[in-house]
Amino acid sequence: MKSEQTLKAPLTINWAINNSCNFLCRHCYSRSDTAEELAGDVLCAAMKRVAAAGVLSVNFGGGEPLLRRDLLDIASCAAGCGMRVSMNSNGYLLDKEKAVALKNAGFSKVGISIDSHEALAHDRFRGVAGSHERAVNALAWLREAGIKTSISTVICTFNHEQIDSLIEFALANKVSQLNFHNFKCSGLGLANKDELDLTPLQWQEFYRKALRAKEQVKELDISLDDPIIASLGLKSGSSMVKGSVCGKLSLNIKSNGDITPCGFIPVVIGNIVHDELKEVWANSPVLEKLRHKTPTGKCASCSDYGECLGGCSARALAMTGDFNSPDPHCWIP
Amino acid sequence: MPKIYRNPDVMWREEDESRAQADEALEKGENAEDIGTSLLFSDGMMVTLNVLGTEIWKMCDGRDADEMVSELLQQFDVEADVLKNDVAGFVAELAEKGFIHYEE
Repeated sequence: MKSEQTLKAPLTINWAINNSCNFLCRHCYSRSDTAEELAGDVLCAAMKRVAAAGVLSVNFGGGEPLLRRDLLDIASCAAGCGMRVSMNSNGYLLDKEKAVALKNAGFSKVGISIDSHEALAHDRFRGVAGSHERAVNALAWLREAGIKTSISTVICTFNHEQIDSLIEFALANKVSQLNFHNFKCSGLGLANKDELDLTPLQWQEFYRKALRAKEQVKELDISLDDPIIASLGLKSGSSMVKGSVCGKLSLNIKSNGDITPCGFIPVVIGNIVHDELKEVWANSPVLEKLRHKTPTGKCASCSDYGECLGGCSARALAMTGDFNSPDPHCWIP
Repeated sequence: MPKIYRNPDVMWREEDESRAQADEALEKGENAEDIGTSLLFSDGMMVTLNVLGTEIWKMCDGRDADEMVSELLQQFDVEADVLKNDVAGFVAELAEKGFIHYEE
């Protein structure tokens, strides 16, 4: 009774509700983004329209969402519209009281960014001393408040060989999910690419090991959100759609309301205050191109193209100026 | 017979246009099996359901499998034994994915 899907609206929206941040992460994709923020009432009205369009969940990001003073009101509004509410945070500003307040405001899940099981390595990468300890504490407060937790780890040169340690660390902190995020060449990530990004062969090795771990470790959901792993044999059932999910299942909204296909693709396709979401979703020429990519270069003759659809469109765009170019992380010759 | 409940963690919605298309096909006596009319979404897993799957999913609110079959027989022109098998198989698949749970 399963069949092909046709979506009337995104399933989920990644929503940057602010761009202010108390951290200095060396891979930050949004540091140079606009500082303009929508007022709380404007945001709430937009969320009501988004929910009415059929969006099931919103994930707040930024910036550091906890720096937004009306975060609880915004979350209550989104949850009140029937959407599942989550956020990504560095956890630095979380304490027991705040965790309970987040739960009461309707948060069902919070992802905390932790890039290493080693405190010093994490603190150095995130630019703030003591941030690892506070992130770990945040996980405990959230769990105690009844909020599902996950750890978000951006894989790069200093942690790609720490898979087992990161898994042990996640299990010790009783999170429900460990997200291994692939490195994006956006914002500071592009500026620091040579220092932080892996070579294609290092990515292949990382994913082989991570997929093995995902199969073996049953007590933890290990999430690998990179379309290029399709060429390693992870096919049906493991991914919701082929290729990038951007523009197929999800969209991104910036702090000023601009809509982009994903947080790493700086192409504005509308504005949530001025435009109708369903209209943008159905008729954006940019989304149309992302949904129907044309293989170029080595992709044109690759037998795996039907599964990965060229890999991550954001990386291809950042490095070559064309969505259709092969993903620069792809290891296939 | 155990009662069947949707897992509240699963998000789901119906796709209005596709549902209208499926209903139209069924009215004409055509096959609507391949038209996805709803989708279920949970922790990175998505399942698309056709019109019969959608109706079964909506009934996972404390009814048991026999109650579902008897209600579905009023909506769909299908043999009772075939439907009973389809419902049992589909519900078992949902349970395996963690999308539903049983209560005695």
